[in-house]
Amino acid sequence: MEPIIKIENVHKHFGEIHALRDINLTIKTGEVVVIVGPSGSGKSTLLRCINRLEEYDGGKITVDDIPLDSAENINVVRREVGMVFQSFNLFPHLTVLNNLVLAQKVVRMRSTEEARHVATKLLDKVGILEKADAWPSQLSGGQQQRVAIARALAMNPKIMLFDEPTSALDPEMIKEVLDVMLSLAKDGMTMVVVSHEMGFTRAAANRVVFMDEGSIAEEGPPEALFGSPRKERTKLFLSKILKHGL
Amino acid sequence: MAWYKKITWWWLLATVIILTVFLTVAKSDPFWRILRFVSDGILVTVMVTTTSFLLVLIAGMFGGMARLSKNKFIYGVSTLYVELVRGIPLLVQLIWWYFAFPIVIQQIGRRFNMPSFVSYQANAYLMAVIGLVFCYGAYMSEIYRAGIQSISKGQMEAARSLGMSYFQAMRYVVLPQAIRVIMPPVGNEFIALLKDSSLVSVVAVADITRRGREYMSTHFNPIEVWTFIALLYLVMTLFSARIVAIIERKLER
Repeated sequence: MEPIIKIENVHKHFGEIHALRDINLTIKTGEVVVIVGPSGSGKSTLLRCINRLEEYDGGKITVDDIPLDSAENINVVRREVGMVFQSFNLFPHLTVLNNLVLAQKVVRMRSTEEARHVATKLLDKVGILEKADAWPSQLSGGQQQRVAIARALAMNPKIMLFDEPTSALDPEMIKEVLDVMLSLAKDGMTMVVVSHEMGFTRAAANRVVFMDEGSIAEEGPPEALFGSPRKERTKLFLSKILKHGL
Repeated sequence: MAWYKKITWWWLLATVIILTVFLTVAKSDPFWRILRFVSDGILVTVMVTTTSFLLVLIAGMFGGMARLSKNKFIYGVSTLYVELVRGIPLLVQLIWWYFAFPIVIQQIGRRFNMPSFVSYQANAYLMAVIGLVFCYGAYMSEIYRAGIQSISKGQMEAARSLGMSYFQAMRYVVLPQAIRVIMPPVGNEFIALLKDSSLVSVVAVADITRRGREYMSTHFNPIEVWTFIALLYLVMTLFSARIVAIIERKLER
């Protein structure tokens, strides 16, 4: 398979803090990569560098053969890369349907009719079509996150980034979001997910990347990484999150 | 409920209107005469206020975005503008634009040999509008800035992650939400501008205030004139306040 995301020698500083230290990571088309690690390890920062919501100050990132180096290229890449946030970030002044329609019209230049058609199909796919005319504030967290996933998919992205998509959800709503993500993975979507959902990781991930203190400490298939971690700090971290049954 | 809470603000407006109409009808000398004399001034006040306000809304939008710019130059210039303008009385600014600005233009014309600049004459209305917009634009910038800042960063990020440009994200996502937040202070600014527009009477604009002074100087009846002018302003400000309240309620949905 072709590599679709290439991250080479990327560094990032927040003032004094060295948030990313020499990150190298290549992700192939159709691959599902889950990034785990303790808080502050730089996993969200790395994810946000892939669509350049976060600037990095050294190294190179190429997405679908487009280097993230000019404002123009960044906008092209963002069109191809969907993102789902921990806090959903639906547009509260628009109905659910129009949340999906807006960017299709102003970025993809689709007609209202076509955009609505795409939006309706995707809302159906994430099982929330009956809420098309509701306002985001009227939905539960799980429903909002499913709308957010549909909103990103409406742009026909080649890659989907998930930044702790279930961390802000009540436990009973996590499954409905993970189910949508699982079906996406099954459809062959390239996915990069920051999450500690072990069930999802075991079921869908091709590769798990363990980050610690701004660098990639260890990576491998989920069975290998979870079953027989090579490094001491990976073991320590896994023992903590597995003990709590996450 | 106490009786005074039942009196909605519409009643106050109605009372002021009724009082104004009553005076002009029951005591047409001098009130009907005053009204006829200052009526063109009412139009001028309304026009100066609405034109300035529309421009202030636009200036404030760009000013507010500039105040949040990551570009140090844009941020610096806009901050300097806001700080300077807020520190100078509006009346002084209006006088400067009308009396000093044209001379600056003329002298630039003389220095660089540009005849059209040398013969430049200030248009009182234009200078008054420029002065009001320049001053109120600074205040409005701060209102927009606060409004934009009150919208969570995640909104901008979500819009950008969908491929929207900064300006598209502002236009379709951030500003529509910010407008709800800033509507109350923006409404207050409109009413303040309506009242402050009386200052343009000093720089040769024949608004209500100036027309009132002209009438008084020939008829020598300050009590009637200024009471009546005050009533006319009250009709306009109370009416505007009601409109602002309706818009606010609509936006709250």
